[in-house]
Amino acid sequence: MLDLVLLAFIGFVLVLGLRRPFLWVLLYVYIDILAPQRIGYSMIASLPVSLIAFAAAFGGWLALDRKEGARFTVRQGLMAMLLLYCWWTTGRADFPADAATKWDWVWKALLFAIFLPLTLTTRARIEGLALVLVLSVATIVIGTGMKTILGGGGYENLKFFVNDNSGIYESSTLATVAIGLVPLIWWLARNGTIFRPHWTVTAFAIALTFACLLVPVGTEARTGLLCIAALGLLMLRYTKRRLMFIAGAAMLGLVALPFLPQSYYQRMATLAAPGGDESASTRVAVWKWTIDYASKNPFGGGFDAYRSNRFEYTMPVKTTDGNTTSVEYREVVDEARAYHSSIFEMLGEQGWPGLIMWIALHVIGLWQMERLQRRWKDADDPKGDEATRWIAPLAAALQMGAVIYLIGATFQGIAHQPVILMLVGLQTALVTYCRRIDSARGLLERSTARRHAIADKIRGAVAA
Amino acid sequence: MIDYFALALGHGLLAIALLRLVVKQGLDEDPLIGSIKDEANANRKATSAAGRNTARRERDDAPGENA
Repeated sequence: MLDLVLLAFIGFVLVLGLRRPFLWVLLYVYIDILAPQRIGYSMIASLPVSLIAFAAAFGGWLALDRKEGARFTVRQGLMAMLLLYCWWTTGRADFPADAATKWDWVWKALLFAIFLPLTLTTRARIEGLALVLVLSVATIVIGTGMKTILGGGGYENLKFFVNDNSGIYESSTLATVAIGLVPLIWWLARNGTIFRPHWTVTAFAIALTFACLLVPVGTEARTGLLCIAALGLLMLRYTKRRLMFIAGAAMLGLVALPFLPQSYYQRMATLAAPGGDESASTRVAVWKWTIDYASKNPFGGGFDAYRSNRFEYTMPVKTTDGNTTSVEYREVVDEARAYHSSIFEMLGEQGWPGLIMWIALHVIGLWQMERLQRRWKDADDPKGDEATRWIAPLAAALQMGAVIYLIGATFQGIAHQPVILMLVGLQTALVTYCRRIDSARGLLERSTARRHAIADKIRGAVAA
Repeated sequence: MIDYFALALGHGLLAIALLRLVVKQGLDEDPLIGSIKDEANANRKATSAAGRNTARRERDDAPGENA
């Protein structure tokens, strides 16, 4: 039954796409995020829905799209370079089989992120992509939030639609992505033209934001807590009454405290004292190992190069017996520990060139979003032009999302996370779109000046 | 149960959003950039026509030129 409904939905979008081929791009985004082929059990799992959607999206664009205003930008060039470079390192990887497995999804994510801005040539398309992105993630987040409220949360206990810890269905990744999308949710609620501002839209946005904030609680992902803190700090920039905002946030936090489960406190306490937690203490060891590895292999060891690491260290283990708690220091041996950081993931797998490309990709994005906000600030005025008022807030939302992602990425190996790469595509598209407005306006100004000059000339000639 | 509710809500909203997108004006051609370009084109046409006319008038008015 579930399979049929999901297949019917995919079929419905495929049919709609016959009239507007751009919808196939959105279909791929939906399938890539939600993975309906893994939610279903039988029929849908055997169909290559992702491949069908990608072929439709790319073929539709190639054959049927106007392609007006499609530009190839610096950041797309960087991603193309990174793609080629990853292909090269995969060929000479330390663990060829594992590297090939990761390469299998990384190249698709990168290729789609390069392709995406070429299709996002109008405001409606940019908004459409943002909406489908948010609603696809929302489908997962709503379920997670409800389960957290009704009990049943906990690290590695909370069940998603898909429970294989892959893609966005990994608890820390979901927490980071959910928090990172909160600014975009509010941009859609305030500037949407598909769902126009209305009290029902605002109510949904409030509920969804609440669900997003619950994801780090429900999954007990520590990184999520950092992301929430970052979101709060970033929002200070756009709040007029800052003191009120700080007081409100503190109140909300205090009210939430009694509702948090005991296990949550215990897990969060390890944030301050990483010594007592294996996951946190190995992180530092892996990072040191990676720097050492990169000094010997400056061009990286290909995907999954971490598999060759091995650590021995002593860790305090607490055992409670009646009233006495004894702390014993035990030797722990760890092998093949994952990077737990996108920076070290890039450094270890793709070496210094890969890390530099990856950092450049994101830093350029942050800078471009800052420039767009300043350039279009005046348009973001209630009395300003409706046609461009949405630009500065979108740039701000995308910038906040990128900062939250980078903070989350510091503690997780999510350098090639498809949702984030789609956000990169959205940023690139916005930059190109604004450039096109500027250049069209420049042409208009010149032609108007010319027209006036000639009109003056005619008037002069008539008067003579 | 919660899973089914979340899936139904998410897919319902996605379906409405996509239906609205299909009938939306300006999905394939941007209205703002289009209107700026149209205006610039109108200017260009006007200036080229006006330019030609002025040039012709100046030529016609010049004494002795047509004699």
